[in-house]
Amino acid sequence: MENNLISVEDICSFHNIEINFVRSLEEFGLVQTTIIKKTVFLDLEELAKLERCIRLSKDLEINLEGLHAVAQLLNQLYKMQNEVLQLKNELNYYHQVH
Amino acid sequence: MDYVDYYKILELKKDATADEIKKAYRKLARKYHPDLNPNNEEANKKFQQINEANEVLSDPVKRKKYDQHGKDWQHADQFNQQRQNQSRGRNSEYDAFGGFGGGDFSDFFSSMFGGGGARSSGKSPFKGQDFTAELQLNLLDVYTTHKQTLTVNGKQVRITIPAGVENGQKIKLPGYGSAGVNNGPPGDLFITFTIADDPKFKRKGNDIYINEELNLYTAVLGGEKIVETLNGKVKLNVPAGTQSDASLRLKGKGFPVYKKENQFGDLYVKWQVKVPTHLNKEQKELFEKLSQL
Repeated sequence: MENNLISVEDICSFHNIEINFVRSLEEFGLVQTTIIKKTVFLDLEELAKLERCIRLSKDLEINLEGLHAVAQLLNQLYKMQNEVLQLKNELNYYHQVH
Repeated sequence: MDYVDYYKILELKKDATADEIKKAYRKLARKYHPDLNPNNEEANKKFQQINEANEVLSDPVKRKKYDQHGKDWQHADQFNQQRQNQSRGRNSEYDAFGGFGGGDFSDFFSSMFGGGGARSSGKSPFKGQDFTAELQLNLLDVYTTHKQTLTVNGKQVRITIPAGVENGQKIKLPGYGSAGVNNGPPGDLFITFTIADDPKFKRKGNDIYINEELNLYTAVLGGEKIVETLNGKVKLNVPAGTQSDASLRLKGKGFPVYKKENQFGDLYVKWQVKVPTHLNKEQKELFEKLSQL
């Protein structure tokens, strides 16, 4: 499990962002950090979420409230895409059987 | 290669001011940003075009050159000189979005301004390009979690395929894309699973459906029948008077639920009662007797 963790300090230095940005994202529930022996880490899956927030913030100047709204809408979109995929599979099955 | 009308891409007039260009870029970038359009190749392509157009039109020097040569760009002397610069590599800021569907500038841009664009020489780190791969599997392959080695871009990648993966599902392997630019992080690898249909087991979500033949005598009188499931054989009790197309559910004998350990769908067995077709004389007589009772 620890192999999948990367320190938030390293990420901030790499992306040239303030650690407060990550803290604020966490307060909004947009990323989730893990603390091990007083060091704050991010799971690789969470890293992808953080990088998405960094890109949206830098490219489109979206603020925290905007990022929160985007994340919620994207989650809904992913759910719907999965549902469509499952329905397509079911429809294929239906066509095969009948 | 075709002439690319950057003004048209940004929905601008030729005499647009710097402020109008900025506004148009921001408006369209918000609309087509890859993070806001997941799994939308069309939007990703459009976003690259918008970036390319902005790269040229927001830079007064490049814009002047573009405006001067425009459609006649192929005849401009300096293009040859610029072509030599292409060998410097085509990595650009937009490679950061490579993961959303490829990240190069158009050939038109490269011919006119050299590979990459002005900002490619900057020191900002950018994520490497993402790779996509398709993996074809049989239904039984994804019944259990297993490891498989793939060759992606000449490199061997050993991946774990979780049980219960759906047909068409994508998984992301962070860091398995191409190397980053200016010490940027590597891109990711996206694998799409294509799962072939199984002749016996039909999957619908996490449930499995099978058709089992049942001889007439067992259907009428009841009995036992051994049925093959995904994890071995099971003996089923067949009640007397079972009809053809009747089905029964075996709870937890279906497909594993994706990333949920020890959770399984159900198995539905549909009985297909087989009526005997070649009766001998004695059998025929017995059936006739039965019919007269």
